[in-house]
Amino acid sequence: MRNNIPATSTVLNALLRADFTTQWRNRRSVVLVFLVPLIILMSWKGLVDKLGGAFVLSICITIGLTAIGLMGYTNSIARDRDKGIFQRLRVAPLSTWTIMVSRLTVQVVMILALIIAVFIVGFYVDKISLTPAGYVFGFTMGLVGSAVYLGLGQMIAGLIKNPETVNATTRLVYFAFIMIGMFGELGMLGTEVQTIVRWSPFGSVKRIVSDSLQPAHWTIQSTQALLATIGYAFVFSLLGIKWFRWNTK
Amino acid sequence: MNHQSHTPILEVSGLHVYYGNFHAVNDVSFTVNAGEIFGFLGPNGAGKTSTLSAVEGLLKPRSGSISVAGFDIHKQPLHARANMGVQLQATSFQPELTISEIISLYAGIYGAAISYEQILSILRDIKLEDAAGKRFGQLSGGQQQRVSLVIATIHDPHLVLLDEPTTGLDPQSRRQLWERMESIREKGHGVLLTTHSMEEAEAVCDRIAIIDHGRVVAIDTPEALIDHYRHDPEVISVSRKGKITLEDVFIGLTGRAIRS
Repeated sequence: MRNNIPATSTVLNALLRADFTTQWRNRRSVVLVFLVPLIILMSWKGLVDKLGGAFVLSICITIGLTAIGLMGYTNSIARDRDKGIFQRLRVAPLSTWTIMVSRLTVQVVMILALIIAVFIVGFYVDKISLTPAGYVFGFTMGLVGSAVYLGLGQMIAGLIKNPETVNATTRLVYFAFIMIGMFGELGMLGTEVQTIVRWSPFGSVKRIVSDSLQPAHWTIQSTQALLATIGYAFVFSLLGIKWFRWNTK
Repeated sequence: MNHQSHTPILEVSGLHVYYGNFHAVNDVSFTVNAGEIFGFLGPNGAGKTSTLSAVEGLLKPRSGSISVAGFDIHKQPLHARANMGVQLQATSFQPELTISEIISLYAGIYGAAISYEQILSILRDIKLEDAAGKRFGQLSGGQQQRVSLVIATIHDPHLVLLDEPTTGLDPQSRRQLWERMESIREKGHGVLLTTHSMEEAEAVCDRIAIIDHGRVVAIDTPEALIDHYRHDPEVISVSRKGKITLEDVFIGLTGRAIRS
């Protein structure tokens, strides 16, 4: 008697359980990913009146999305590919998309947890309160924005095979995004840099998150930023999928 | 050996694998029957792992056909993989997971849902009852191979592929693994084993294929190969003990030169 293919739901269930357990066991690095945006949020308490609550929240959410997409997701797939964990999974009767869907689901849950954490700390520490529509819309745009960084991470893992080089590259990109993005957005690096940053992946995501937190302030520029975000996410993901190899040989 | 039938579990025919312009596997054909341990021997870089990777569906051959339990590996890859169990040369599992979690993961992936009690019972069978809560990296080489083999066979596959499973093991661990292979054969399943150990090939394999420069140069039972090449001048010239062994036949056919 020949063996049957297991149901996709059974396979996904097993993968999700393993991937969430792995994430739980790596909770120290998860805490570090959460720490940077939350520390910025708390330390910027005095700037809320000057910059606006939505601006401060959106910067922190965008930094958190960058950290999760670039460092959490990218480094985990680069490591598992290098260790042959993907090769072992690929000789089992499962479609490769289930491996990635499971990995991405864990990241989406992380992103949701990060946004909730930013909202809670923003409310209790910085006294930033939004309308219910602002919270819901902010969640949605946060998820849309996260696709840019997950796609960018996929692209980096596709371009670079060595996990240590991937790690170094993602840290460099993360640092550049935070430094140039934050100071450029505030106009501290000149108007040209400000314009470039505004339409960069960092600026576009920051804009849609910021404007979604105040739905009444959503303008045509917000829609343009949303289209740019979708475009970045599409291109990064497409190239990331195209260049990605399941093994490093 | 008497469990062997002539029902092919794995059929490889006219296989060609290229890496760029390098012809890694050149017209390789063989079958593995139910209840048979089939050894695949060759020097480093001869094409063993490439052939195995093609059978596992991890690389696409330029031409040729591979069928597992009647399923074409490229047309019905999931069906073919559901009927094979694989132990890769460098097995790696998520280092954060415990042994029981790894077994549970792969049982789920193969659709063989098992309880924690069943996992403990499986671990008891391989003398690793205390390892349920340990990480894979905390186990010795022999213990890791036992766990890998348990995972490879958790869904009771018709074909088990073992890529150099005893490399680096002590004699006790190696014997244990041989016994596990023999028990798979006794169940009527087929085993495709790659190894560098001629002693292992003689001890457990029913038939052997010797591959060199991507081509199968000989295929038969170990005894028949020794008998057939007993008077071959190349084989006699490499013989060290006056008595022709499988290793003499292997070196006689593949040459003395060290491969990278």
